[in-house]
Amino acid sequence: MNEAEEKFGQVYFTILGAVALAFGAAELIASAGGGFTWGILDSSGATDPLFLPWRAIILLSVGFFYLSSVKDFAEVHQLAKAVMASIMIWIVAGMAIWTRIASSIPGEETWFNSLEGFLASYAPPYCPEMFLLPFSLVIVYYIMKEKEGEK
Amino acid sequence: MQVKKGVVKVPLSVDERWDLIEKITKQTVEFGAYKHTLKDAIAELTVKPLTGIPVAIAVLYGFWSFFCDFAGTLFTDGFMVKIFDEHWLPWLQSVFPGGLGDPLYALMVDAGHLENGVLVPSDNCFEAFGVLTSGLFVPFGVVLWAVLAFYLVFAFLEDIGYLPRLAVLVDTVLHKIGLHGYAIVPTFLSLGCNVPGVMATRVLETRKQRFLMITLLGIFIPCGAQIGIMQDLVPELMGWIFLTLAIGYLGFGYILNKIVPGESPEIIMDVPPYRMPALRNIARKLWIRTSRFLLVAVPFVLLGCLIVGLMYLTGAMDWLASVLGPLLMVWFGVPKEAVAPLIAGFLRKDLAVGVLGGLMERGVMTHFQVFTSVVLLSIYFPCLATFALMLKEENWKEFLGSLASLVVVVFVYGGLIHLVGLMLGVA
Repeated sequence: MNEAEEKFGQVYFTILGAVALAFGAAELIASAGGGFTWGILDSSGATDPLFLPWRAIILLSVGFFYLSSVKDFAEVHQLAKAVMASIMIWIVAGMAIWTRIASSIPGEETWFNSLEGFLASYAPPYCPEMFLLPFSLVIVYYIMKEKEGEK
Repeated sequence: MQVKKGVVKVPLSVDERWDLIEKITKQTVEFGAYKHTLKDAIAELTVKPLTGIPVAIAVLYGFWSFFCDFAGTLFTDGFMVKIFDEHWLPWLQSVFPGGLGDPLYALMVDAGHLENGVLVPSDNCFEAFGVLTSGLFVPFGVVLWAVLAFYLVFAFLEDIGYLPRLAVLVDTVLHKIGLHGYAIVPTFLSLGCNVPGVMATRVLETRKQRFLMITLLGIFIPCGAQIGIMQDLVPELMGWIFLTLAIGYLGFGYILNKIVPGESPEIIMDVPPYRMPALRNIARKLWIRTSRFLLVAVPFVLLGCLIVGLMYLTGAMDWLASVLGPLLMVWFGVPKEAVAPLIAGFLRKDLAVGVLGGLMERGVMTHFQVFTSVVLLSIYFPCLATFALMLKEENWKEFLGSLASLVVVVFVYGGLIHLVGLMLGVA
């Protein structure tokens, strides 16, 4: 990875880490009050109230991982922290998507959902991790760069 | 000392063995600068406590979310409940000879329940309690999907190489209870089915460790059958139930480790590199574990249904409830209606949880009473299949020790939960 890429990575993941920390703190505070939904942002605890603080702890860790990775970002151990943070987002966001897939297939009264019901399952609001998911994918570029360097 | 063909063989001491290893290593291994790859760095991160614990928290979140949605939302609630409650149960109720009140009908299809003094048919397979209704719904409608989901993720984590890292992470904690990191394998396997969990205790070195592990598995680890039904009936209590069981697992493990004589040696763990999972491996493991569950557990569910049904029909359950009722009600703080399902839980814990869920829906039990009862069901008497395997894996002395621990734990822990409830004003 060249110097410009390293610099960009440092700035980008500092911002992403700060946003993840803010989301994590918001979820932690929200979990004390049973969660909230604000516009297209959903911070409610689904079926189990322990899910929300659990997610908050993960998001806070993601924030710390990203922020601690930016110093000497090109060094492999530092980059690994950012990779791990992204993987943690993929796990939580992936499960949020999986929840929607699982609930979109069967219908309420019928065997399978109607097309409208199916599409409605994917409508907002979304949990914070879903918003972070596309931004976390930038790490794939850095993984590929690192792999090239290893060869 | 061994003498063979004139050569005297003297066993090496531990220090001598290490010296020999060093000599061989010097002659055979080349040392040089090694540049860590990204994979190496990630592997390191997942075993260091500061970074490994948050990763483990995320992995367990993924594990649990997948389990709930695959087994609960998609298969059980999405399709199986419809098949069994809307088609299978009404069809059986219409074609099975005898009808409500007939002993054979009650045993095989639906025992019904009293509403304002009138016997009415059940509208779901959980409450019907027949061999052909509850007996089939529990293993095929609920448990099969829970076990499948559980073993699918377990095989995936095993195959990519995460499980040994989790073992390293929990090694320090498990040493406090006389075990080591690899005890996480039987513990996790037991969350699917206790039977392979008990068999997996063979990875532990000493008899003391195996005794500790089998006892803790039998008491504190609920199987997939129970988890599936708990998740379906009392999802809002799951977090608290698991927290209570985890505290019991570590607390009583610590005490047992102090009481039980024997050794708990250190081991060196082999941590393989991360690898891409092989679909073929995962499919094979999934098939072996799930088919074992179906072959071992399903006959016991059907047998349990039959025996519980017979006990209700012959009045044996009412007699047991009247004898044990006062003790259970006073000591554990459960209502009279919960005594029979708690006793039935000796044979089928999952069915008992189903009945307790029904009592909660009808307002007979409070949330705390259901919570106490579900924890009690989890910690007392393992299912018949596990019980049989414990007899095979332990000697008589150890087996009786496990049973004694179980009785003590049920009364002490159940009483403690009731006491906490009283102090918080919720019992």
